[in-house]
Amino acid sequence: MEEFKTELKKQIIETLSLEEMTPDEIDNSAPLFGKGLGLDSIDVLELIVMLERKYGIRLGNPAEGKAVFASIDSLAEYIGKNRKK
Amino acid sequence: MVKPMEIACVGTNISSPLGWDTQHNYSAVREGRSSLKSYAGHPFLKEPFVASLFGCEEIEKRFSALCGGGNYTRFEKLAILSVKDALEQTAIDPSSGAVLFVLSSTKGNVELLPDGTSEDLLLGATAGKIAGYFGFTSTPVVISNACISGVCALISASRLLRTGRYSHAVVCGCDVLSEFIVSGFSSLKALSSRECKPFDEARDGLNLGEAAASIVLSTEYTADWKLGEGAITNDANHISGPSRTGEGSYRALLNVLGGNKRPSFINAHGTATRYNDEMESIAIERSGLGELPVNALKAHYGHTLGAAGILESILSMRSADEGIALGIRGYEKKGVSGNVSLSSEPVPVEGGSFVKLLSGFGGCNAALLFTKTGKAVVSQSLHLKELRRVSLSSQGKVRFGKTDGRQAENTDIFGQFKGGDFLTELYKTRIGAYPKFYKMDLLSRLAFVSSELLLEGISELDDASVIFFGTHGSELNDRRFQKSIAEIPSPALFVYTLPNISSGEVAIRHKIHGETIFYYMDKRDDDRMREIVESSCTESGKLMVAGWLDCAGENDFEAALALYETITNDNGRI
Repeated sequence: MEEFKTELKKQIIETLSLEEMTPDEIDNSAPLFGKGLGLDSIDVLELIVMLERKYGIRLGNPAEGKAVFASIDSLAEYIGKNRKK
Repeated sequence: MVKPMEIACVGTNISSPLGWDTQHNYSAVREGRSSLKSYAGHPFLKEPFVASLFGCEEIEKRFSALCGGGNYTRFEKLAILSVKDALEQTAIDPSSGAVLFVLSSTKGNVELLPDGTSEDLLLGATAGKIAGYFGFTSTPVVISNACISGVCALISASRLLRTGRYSHAVVCGCDVLSEFIVSGFSSLKALSSRECKPFDEARDGLNLGEAAASIVLSTEYTADWKLGEGAITNDANHISGPSRTGEGSYRALLNVLGGNKRPSFINAHGTATRYNDEMESIAIERSGLGELPVNALKAHYGHTLGAAGILESILSMRSADEGIALGIRGYEKKGVSGNVSLSSEPVPVEGGSFVKLLSGFGGCNAALLFTKTGKAVVSQSLHLKELRRVSLSSQGKVRFGKTDGRQAENTDIFGQFKGGDFLTELYKTRIGAYPKFYKMDLLSRLAFVSSELLLEGISELDDASVIFFGTHGSELNDRRFQKSIAEIPSPALFVYTLPNISSGEVAIRHKIHGETIFYYMDKRDDDRMREIVESSCTESGKLMVAGWLDCAGENDFEAALALYETITNDNGRI
């Protein structure tokens, strides 16, 4: 799971153009929104696209997105349960 | 030239799926009709959506019947039909150099991607083709400022008319839909799959529409309706989400109404997204206008993008002539927290004036007063004093202007970096600590870095303006977004398919709440740029960031920006 989380963090860094970040700098349990990585509404939408493109998961409702993307831990768990790729 | 002049609306046209002239369109709206239809599995988008689209070949047939042949695109034909009808209501000869053509559009011929050539896709050239049909001899003014383009075009036209150099202006707003636009808004989850419900508690998104609308403005001929004050402002908050406090809209309303004018009603943007309508209601309440009727017309035509500001203003003039503010089609129960007066039925009003309010991506907002009874406007004679100048190119060169003490720094230290790498290196070594830089498209990065160099050490920019001119606009990023549609359309790319986002990024960075606007130009024309920027001086003592911003390719871009102060006499002119 740890390896997957690191891979996931690299994926997020690339998808959201977080060029100056490394996976080590992202705390698995820290909030991704607000103070954490400071992600915004467009970032949520890009992560939803990433879920579909990379893992085959369709998240229709952006409101659901905030819970799924709350932290790396919650995201990794969600992908683990729902991935089709 | 300083003299009071009235700017009268002497001709109007709406060309939409509801009809080809203002009268037919107004009658349809008055009967509560709408051109919105449901689609599923459509070439534009396979998911269900609601939009207002012309019928197959409908524009082409009409054009063929009225205008004959000619190698014009669908977009150009629609614009020509609209301008033709509006012009024919007047005795104005478009071939006179004193007649301006002003085009407002968000995406012009973008439906031609990916195969379209740059010439087809560049709005400056497209405007030239449309103008050429009528024989305009003056260079077109082309505004692409997201959803507020229509009102910006009217404001820009009225300012240029007030210089006294032009007598009339034909202002046309036009947009046609395409897979590019529909999939883009879908990627932002902004679309409703039902007919939209502005300001309603059950609203869940917007509908898109295609239309053209034109107003002919004149300082020589008179008419009932005249243009009053106009204002363009920025939230300085986010490139696609509006300010939660409605800051930009609030400021625009205050600027236009000056605290003491009471319009009969406000025609709002009212796109029916959760955020837009909430924000507008807050801005209207903050401005002390909460008891005025507020309406929104997007459930008749959808959001017609570059045409919206003009189309909705024409309908509002007609309704005011009848002594009513139109009801909000689609509205049932109030779903916004601002204390505003909303109705699904027409409301009787005095009918002497109204404000058109709009907001758009890039954080921009616009308000324009239309009046039958207002006094003629006197323009101050204002000039530009150049304080600083910076130019940057993809060759890896930075140059500071003669007036700038930093001239000694004309640098070759970045000589080994070119293209996008050059901008990144400038960012890392000279700016830093702004990770949003990496999310920006190349045009916005160019705007960001060159503005940063221009504004180093300056912090009082609250009411400054940011005015950019360019030939290619967002073309480079448009092509990237188009490619992404083949797989899954990218919302982060779509947001940057509007060239004015570049000015919005600068506004966010420097907390600029003044005007932000992007003009397309077929070719760089410094005299025309200066003319437009100078006409935009509305008060003395203001700062303006203005200049050339153009990205033709990853390794082919150029910025030449100046920082001006507006002054009241000629002495400071450089």
